[in-house]
Amino acid sequence: MLFPTLAFGIFFLFVYFTAWSLDRENGRRKLFLLLASWFFFAQWDWRFVALLIASAVLNWAVAALIAKRMRDHPDGRRAWLVGLGVAVNLLILGFFKYYGFFIEQAGELLTQFGWERDLPLLQIVLPVGISFFTFQGISYVVDVHRGKTPPAKSLVDVMLLMSFFPHLVAGPIVRASDLLPQFDRAPRLTRAMATHGLLLIVWGLFKKTVIATELSVNLVDPVFFDPSAYSAFDIAAATYGYAVQIYCDFSAYSDMAIGLAALLGYSFPRNFDQPYRASSMQSFWRRWHISLSSWLRDYLYVPLGGGKKGLISSCINVFITMVLGGLWHGAAWTFLAWGALHGGVQVIERLGRAAFGDRKVVPTVVGVLVTFHIVCLGWILFRAENFDLAMAMLQGLGRIGPVTMLTPLLLTLIVGGLAMHWLPPRAIEGVAERLKAAPSITLALLIGAAFLLIEAVRPEGVAPFIYFQF
Amino acid sequence: MTDERDPPEIPLEPFPVYRQVSPFPPLSETGVRTAGDPPSDWNQGADAHDLPTRENRLATLGRIAFPPAPPLDDEGVAARDLRWTSRTIVIVTAFMLVFNAVSPLNWSRQQAPGWVQGTVQQVSEVWVNQLAVFGVDMPRQGVREAWMAARDARFVGQEPVPTAP
Repeated sequence: MLFPTLAFGIFFLFVYFTAWSLDRENGRRKLFLLLASWFFFAQWDWRFVALLIASAVLNWAVAALIAKRMRDHPDGRRAWLVGLGVAVNLLILGFFKYYGFFIEQAGELLTQFGWERDLPLLQIVLPVGISFFTFQGISYVVDVHRGKTPPAKSLVDVMLLMSFFPHLVAGPIVRASDLLPQFDRAPRLTRAMATHGLLLIVWGLFKKTVIATELSVNLVDPVFFDPSAYSAFDIAAATYGYAVQIYCDFSAYSDMAIGLAALLGYSFPRNFDQPYRASSMQSFWRRWHISLSSWLRDYLYVPLGGGKKGLISSCINVFITMVLGGLWHGAAWTFLAWGALHGGVQVIERLGRAAFGDRKVVPTVVGVLVTFHIVCLGWILFRAENFDLAMAMLQGLGRIGPVTMLTPLLLTLIVGGLAMHWLPPRAIEGVAERLKAAPSITLALLIGAAFLLIEAVRPEGVAPFIYFQF
Repeated sequence: MTDERDPPEIPLEPFPVYRQVSPFPPLSETGVRTAGDPPSDWNQGADAHDLPTRENRLATLGRIAFPPAPPLDDEGVAARDLRWTSRTIVIVTAFMLVFNAVSPLNWSRQQAPGWVQGTVQQVSEVWVNQLAVFGVDMPRQGVREAWMAARDARFVGQEPVPTAP
């Protein structure tokens, strides 16, 4: 069940009215939201729900044990419990996501050494959103251990934390410290939240169904499928198009998730902040998929030592973090290369800062252009099925030929998708602030007209969100 | 910042180093008489709220018949905002059911055949046909045609859109 579908619209209307009719019974409300989230998840495969429940029970139990040990033996060692919790989460993630990849690589390696073996290949279905809910589980266990968040008051809270349908499938990765306190009391809906939520849903719907889908179907997919058939113009357009598509696709999901949660009375953190305005790779990662980059910082980069042990150590740590961040996106060498590219550029930036200090070496405009093109280079690795296709894309950038795929409309969408990064940084909040005082009929007619416009121009059907596969 | 004076060897130019003297002498020294404040007419014993006011009789009746509601507490504000949001959502849904009636029909055509799909399709077809009589499908149709035209547009010299056989 995808957000921009009629089925989800009906589902959400039912959830909205039922949840608010239970607003005086917070416990029952949470239970209802949990059941609704499981129903939502079961639309992909009901077996995934069992995995989700098992993962939640595991994290709840480990966190409860850690909290008990902290109470009974404040100075006692509990690192092994944290290690156990993290390891089991990683085991679940590793089995479902990386088993096939590692077995395949091991088989190839053994073949190279002449020890060919029939390794046990399993047809494992990748549960949707597994990377997101396992990372949430890990952050919950570690935060309880660090004392950053108290353990949840009930198992239902942990289950809802991990299963809450707006963020379940493609984030943002909402931490326990953000969401659990909100579960403690019956939520309140304000006009500001509701207006902001509705506008985010409309904006997300527009980005996904109009910009991302149009670019994907009519430009990006055909060119990336067979780059050798296209000229440099089309390949460059497809690369820029993919940069816009992935932003509009993923940020649209986050916007809609934040908007849906707001309509149910819950607040999620921002996940994107005009990433293509970044003038350095470090700045890019402060603006792109913020919930993942902050997760990687807090639970990987900092435990590795962060920047405490000097420049070289910090460079190594940031490189490892980015490579593993690349691997998080998928079990393929192209993702590893993508992570290595981002890590490598950040290492160069760090060395540059160490050499030149905070002095501005290049103008901001140049920094933005260079960063954007490095990011686009990374997107080629990210989108291409394999290295051969990625190389074919790069080689095609030197091929002179007619423009066959790029049309005025697609060019407008690409330019528009990039131009939206230069809107005022909190434009939606600003509009919501002005509209919240309007009568409900005025707002409804505005939102309705926007929905109608989107519905009129969107293609039939809707492709799954890119980040569902992660 | 200190209370010590700046050493004289530090040049302060081009900033002024002393206060400019006004070219005009103070008023008190000119001998010109200025008008004082007029004597106050404020009655110390009066209370402004006791002054008689005339209220429209209909307004008085309205105030008695429909007394203003007490100020809302937090829960009241939350309930009011929830009602406002729910009203907005219901109106948006109704708006879409009228102006975007074709959406359920398209959705039903994409589903696997079955009882639900068949029922939704039949009901939607009737609904769409009825609304088409009033022309409410025209805004959507007009926007869609404009969009399709924009999609088919090509750059000068670019090959035209391949037409379906």
